[in-house]
Amino acid sequence: MKFRSKNLQNEETEINVSPLIDMVFILLIFFIVATSFVNEIGITPKYKDTANTTFEEKRPLNFELLPSGQIIQNGNTIGIEEVAPIVRNAHPDSRSSVLLYLSPGSKAGLATQVIDQAMLGGAGAIKLSPHSK
Amino acid sequence: MRLYGKFRLEKDRDGEETINVSPLIDVVFILLIFFIVSATFVSLPGIKIKRPKAITAQSLERNSILFAISNNDKIFYGGEERKLGEISNLIEEASRKKRKPVVVQIDQWADASLLAKVVANARISSTSVSIATRKPR
Repeated sequence: MKFRSKNLQNEETEINVSPLIDMVFILLIFFIVATSFVNEIGITPKYKDTANTTFEEKRPLNFELLPSGQIIQNGNTIGIEEVAPIVRNAHPDSRSSVLLYLSPGSKAGLATQVIDQAMLGGAGAIKLSPHSK
Repeated sequence: MRLYGKFRLEKDRDGEETINVSPLIDVVFILLIFFIVSATFVSLPGIKIKRPKAITAQSLERNSILFAISNNDKIFYGGEERKLGEISNLIEEASRKKRKPVVVQIDQWADASLLAKVVANARISSTSVSIATRKPR
């Protein structure tokens, strides 16, 4: 007992922290390297299952995108800025569904703009079809 | 050792000068905890694409499964080129533990019919499929 109290008074015991620091640094470097900051923005075209029969009460609005970049709706060529009003006026009481035919050769940038405009017009469901009408 | 007045190294029991490492450990621990918490481990498609512009774009889930379609109509996942038929299996493999949403990064000059096919294939295994865009300037 006497020896112990003497030991506390004169010599302070220290823990060697160097291995701890080494380990923490290795963990830190691992997590820095492994972290990828993915911060995407985007659009999510909602899609109802066609097996649902209530879906068929209102026929979906058809848009077709041609390889030339033209947008066809009901037989007429329309501009990109006309998509939102057409969708909004089609079913003012409820959210309308849109069926977008993407012809092979048409560009994804324009397709995304049409989806964007349709969502701006309040489309509830947007289905993409990879075929020509 | 005396440097610019106040700064002075502590002396240990043998009379040797030592640096106090406790603040260093504190800072390193805080950094470590930050990186552990923010780590999501997303496998990136590994190609550079030009995203299309969209007005209604919303922030997407960070922890998602990423597919990319290049401007020469090739599908990439996890740094490798993949075929259209593999998409559904890849999603199921990636969301075995936890269901994750799918994000399709498409180049604005890629074929839109391929986008429709990729989205249709991804919807077999996932309920939420988004298209990555950028803010219009």
